[in-house]
Amino acid sequence: MPESMPTTSGARAVPPVAMSTMSTLVTHTGSWKYLRPAYHDRVAPCNARCPVGIDIEGYLNLILEGRVDEARDLLLAENPLPAVTGRVCHHPCETACNRRALDGAVAIHAVERALGDLAHERPAPVVKGAPRTERVAVVGSGPAGLACAYHLARFGYGVTVFEAERAPGGMLRLGIPEYRLPRAVLDRDIARIAAHGVEISCGVRIGTDVSWRDLTGRFQAVCVATGAHASRALGVSGETLPGVRPGLAFLRDVNGGARPDLGRRVVVVGGGNTAMDCARSALRLGAQVTVVYRRTRDEMPAIREEVEDALHEGVQFVFLATPLEFTAANSRVHAIVCERMALGETDASGRRRPVPTGERFTLEAETVLTAIGESAALENFFGDVDDSGAGLTVDALGGTSRGALYAGGDVTDLERTVADALGAGKRSAIGIDRHLRQHAGDTQELNALRFASGNLSAARWMQRDPVRRIDPVNDMVGVDDVNFASYRKVPRHDDTRLDSEGARGGFDEVNAGLTTAAAMDEARRCLNCGVCTECDVCLIFCPDAAITHAADGGYTIALDYCKGCGVCAAECPRGAITMTQDRP
Amino acid sequence: MSQVRIDECIPTGELLTSGHLACPGCAAPLAMRLALKALGPNTIVVMPACCFTIIAGPWPQSSLQVPVYHAGFATGPAVASGVRAALDLQGKHDTTVMVWVGDGGTFDIGLQSLSGAAERNENILYVCYDNEAYMNTGIQRSSATPWGAWTTTTPAQFPESTNKKDILGIMAAHGIPYAATATVGYPVDLIEKFTRAKGMRGTRFLHLLSPCPPGWKCGDDEGIELARMAVQNRVFPMLEIEEGERWRLTMDHAGDPVEPYLRRQGRFRHLNAEQVAHIQTGIDRRWVALQRRVAMSGEHALSAVPSAVPSAAPSAAPSSAPQPAGV
Amino acid sequence: MKKVMVGNHAVAWGVRLARVEVISAYPITPQTQVVEKLSEMCADGTLAARFIKVESEHSAMAAVIGASATGVRAFTASSSHGLLYMHEMLHWAAGGRHPIVMADVNRAIGPGWNIWTDQNDSLSQRDTGWVQLYCETNQEVVDTTVMAFKLAESLSVPVMLMLDGFYLSHTAEPVDIPDQELVDRFLPKRDAPHKLDVDQPHAFGALVRPDSYMEMRWLQQEALQKVPETLAAIEQDWQRMFGRSYGAVEAYRAEGADLLLVTSGTITSTARTVVDARRAAGEAVGLLKVKMFRPFPTALLRDALRRLGRVSRVAVLDRNISPGHGGIFAEELRAALYDLGDGERPEIFGFVLGLGGRDVTPAVIGEAIAQARAGTVPSREDLWVGVNP
Repeated sequence: MPESMPTTSGARAVPPVAMSTMSTLVTHTGSWKYLRPAYHDRVAPCNARCPVGIDIEGYLNLILEGRVDEARDLLLAENPLPAVTGRVCHHPCETACNRRALDGAVAIHAVERALGDLAHERPAPVVKGAPRTERVAVVGSGPAGLACAYHLARFGYGVTVFEAERAPGGMLRLGIPEYRLPRAVLDRDIARIAAHGVEISCGVRIGTDVSWRDLTGRFQAVCVATGAHASRALGVSGETLPGVRPGLAFLRDVNGGARPDLGRRVVVVGGGNTAMDCARSALRLGAQVTVVYRRTRDEMPAIREEVEDALHEGVQFVFLATPLEFTAANSRVHAIVCERMALGETDASGRRRPVPTGERFTLEAETVLTAIGESAALENFFGDVDDSGAGLTVDALGGTSRGALYAGGDVTDLERTVADALGAGKRSAIGIDRHLRQHAGDTQELNALRFASGNLSAARWMQRDPVRRIDPVNDMVGVDDVNFASYRKVPRHDDTRLDSEGARGGFDEVNAGLTTAAAMDEARRCLNCGVCTECDVCLIFCPDAAITHAADGGYTIALDYCKGCGVCAAECPRGAITMTQDRP
Repeated sequence: MSQVRIDECIPTGELLTSGHLACPGCAAPLAMRLALKALGPNTIVVMPACCFTIIAGPWPQSSLQVPVYHAGFATGPAVASGVRAALDLQGKHDTTVMVWVGDGGTFDIGLQSLSGAAERNENILYVCYDNEAYMNTGIQRSSATPWGAWTTTTPAQFPESTNKKDILGIMAAHGIPYAATATVGYPVDLIEKFTRAKGMRGTRFLHLLSPCPPGWKCGDDEGIELARMAVQNRVFPMLEIEEGERWRLTMDHAGDPVEPYLRRQGRFRHLNAEQVAHIQTGIDRRWVALQRRVAMSGEHALSAVPSAVPSAAPSAAPSSAPQPAGV
Repeated sequence: MKKVMVGNHAVAWGVRLARVEVISAYPITPQTQVVEKLSEMCADGTLAARFIKVESEHSAMAAVIGASATGVRAFTASSSHGLLYMHEMLHWAAGGRHPIVMADVNRAIGPGWNIWTDQNDSLSQRDTGWVQLYCETNQEVVDTTVMAFKLAESLSVPVMLMLDGFYLSHTAEPVDIPDQELVDRFLPKRDAPHKLDVDQPHAFGALVRPDSYMEMRWLQQEALQKVPETLAAIEQDWQRMFGRSYGAVEAYRAEGADLLLVTSGTITSTARTVVDARRAAGEAVGLLKVKMFRPFPTALLRDALRRLGRVSRVAVLDRNISPGHGGIFAEELRAALYDLGDGERPEIFGFVLGLGGRDVTPAVIGEAIAQARAGTVPSREDLWVGVNP
């Protein structure tokens, strides 16, 4: 018989065959990792780029879940004029939309418009905070002033808006033609603001009818949102000839109902939205219209769809040309001498500077409309207020250099779009609220109100953000952070439009948008960038089966086993998982 | 929502536990996880020497919650044949016997045993998870290594100089009931194929592309995406072959150029433009040939398998005779 | 039931009596009649087994390993190069503790090709962990085949039994086929302690680290060391039931011998006639037949020699050679008898003969006896008989 095998200390009983008796759960492979995954809701690019500061991804997600009324409410928490912006905003959200790289950006404008229109069929309840004793004056009822008033009312303040014109709306009413923004739509959205208890006092010009000093006596804070109405002059000979008009003045007339006779041929000088509005309005008044712009189509600041619609309707374009002088015949402008330009070095705006070539040509026209930009008339306010030359200087919350005086919109030196104005009005409202509560706050607190580096959220300021977020971090989800493998290609829904004959025949709304059903469908194309929707992709692809459903929703990653490979983060369709350096 | 909800098509049970020893980001355990989800617990795995020998865990652990026989390198199909015979004697005709082995054990050292089992139409499910080299022993070339690839035995000065062996063509030539390709890049397709294979009898062969971050020299998190790219650029088409005669593709293949796929992997870093073009030409040529086979497939009807078991035979049917369907 | 049959068919009968469930084999001369007979038996239903006709011997052993791992009784047969081809799997079967039985028809190894008998094929596998039993007659083949299963399953060790190519495999001898009912009582259906079973899932044969591997090999060694006593008990049962037994070592007319022949396989039969003739002539020559080569019957041989007392010379007849060393039985015997005291240890003459099927006649054996008698010590460890250099 064999001797017993000498046992060493720790020798254990071993079976005759290598038969397993346990699983591998005793091996904590999590110790291998040097990167660790975590679910962090991040910021969708639409949210980050929206000048208004709307939780776009949030309301699209609510639509996905069938919670359309809540989607409406989330939108209205930030934007008082959704039916308006759905029609006229330059939608940087869509430009930033990550879905562009797959099969086309989500038509967010169409969804916003549908929600905005729906909000009139199914109105949201009026939301107001606990009533405050302080009262605030807003000067100007353009988008900046209206937004400021709206948010302040929701914060609980009594607000009076002073509007010099006969009707509220500012550039929305004066500048944007009806075929882009029907007056009924504008009126309805403004009526909602009034329904919050905001008093809109039209036909009252501050500084004339009411002094600035009076204002400061009666109101604890003032927001100036008087806009920029002074058309810039070209500074060329013949600019004062009859028939040569600033575009804004022309639009004011037409939008007020006038139908002037412009003659047979009209030239519009400029490449922005005002120029497009002038061109398309002139077309509807029966003229042949040519737009002269000193750079190329790619550099035009106008909203792309406006340019496309203008082309579609028959507006002619002459690029790389600028007027040198206007000449007259029969005491009226008759011809424009233009110089051909070439693109030179890049200038401060980031675009290539037009450089004269010396080559000239002449266009004939009976009317010339100039639309090369507007400047703000910087009123003599009560005392000095800092301005940069381009407009009033304001801080992150719309505060000017002067005490309780806030400002927003085109009167400041910030970006001049409808969306930026709405965003500025909101910032001023938050600034005023903070000021009146004597709440100092700090940058960190402000940043917590933002989507990434985007605008502030009023819902967050009011601590009424209904959207549940998992360990949110404030960085933006770029196109490299999403994974298109999980998505079918679904083409973008196109707005229904009048054909060019129907369009230029009158001032009826050209763009009918989408049906509600189509808009809801379009909302479902949203990738929900940065927000976990519990689609299980991470769970399915984890090679270590380390991801499981958590009892109360969401997922648990078993860090004892997770090797930090990063497959979950790479496969997540929407960039809701972040890999960071593992710390013990 | 336009997201394809793959969770609706993936069974939820887990038969592979965490704590296994695969490299981070390895496609093999993911493939096994998905395979076992499709096959269920009534499965016995025969596992010749391969990466999974280590991945499965050392004695006394096992990460698979089904029986496993760790077998000699070349022996998977033979051992499985024995297991199958025993199970059938025990009346366990529905237990799936799955051979799980790498490209080395399939294309090279185990090819004879595989051919033998396929010729006998053994009622086994053979899965080759292909990471295109002998990865377990440190990235040496196999006959599955693609042309131009670096491995430790085909260094960059003289990279792999022969084409990847056409294992699927070889298996089709055996006329087995079912042969298919699949990959972790398309988990629903993989699950469907395993489910289909499970419901069939006879030798079923599944060839899975299994990206390997250490061997392919890519990031730990890139394997799944590389698997998809390999399908979309037609390096690894998704197809099914029945009886060796009826070929079909199981998804669209975009036909993306191969270069981005190559450039993401360090094992192809040394390739110049001419070599990349050569690879592209090879892919295009094989694609044309594949299209032809798919097109021809409609002309062949399935013929019935005659039973060689005489009607007067007693109950024991020897496994040497072709099995009538359903036995 | 008495029948006349060749050795290969005797193997088949043993397999049938043992109610083997899975067979997998690849044909090779001179084993082919084993697989042919078994195929017939499967086809006509007298053997209810699955026969997997694999494409190589390596696969044949792998297949029976798979079957054995799933809990059924499994068998294969091979010879020569076929046996060598399955070498890796022989280790596997033993290390995996699979109670497989294999018949090896001893045949020489090429090159040059040689289909006739010698023992190098099986003996070159002596380190694989298999029990090795060498048969002398076709009756012994049938009996040993059945007993081999009992031995294998008792200790979870694989067993190979050897029969000389052509001399036994193709030579017809009378054989008494044991009664099936009695065999069933002797050898019930296999009840494997561990097997591949989805109701009790385990992994078998995973990586074993240095801290545990030796223990498993120790347990394997322990099992092999129980073989002699277990085989003896099994043979006792066989004797009771069927009136026959063989012994791991059989002494033939060894009492009082001063020269012992040591043989295995069919050489034993010839050696018996030589012993008879020498004894008739008054010469004290005896014979030890070694049936069980693995585990080597060290204790039995040592005890036998001690008991016999007068043996001064041993002539080991090896139909094999370990190149660079000597005849294998001779070498193992020398090691086994090393611990005998000076007075007890005989001179051991190792004779290499009969390689490649060369006939070992009484004259050849006589030559070996003469050489053993002539020298006081062997002039070299391997004495080749009948080789013309």
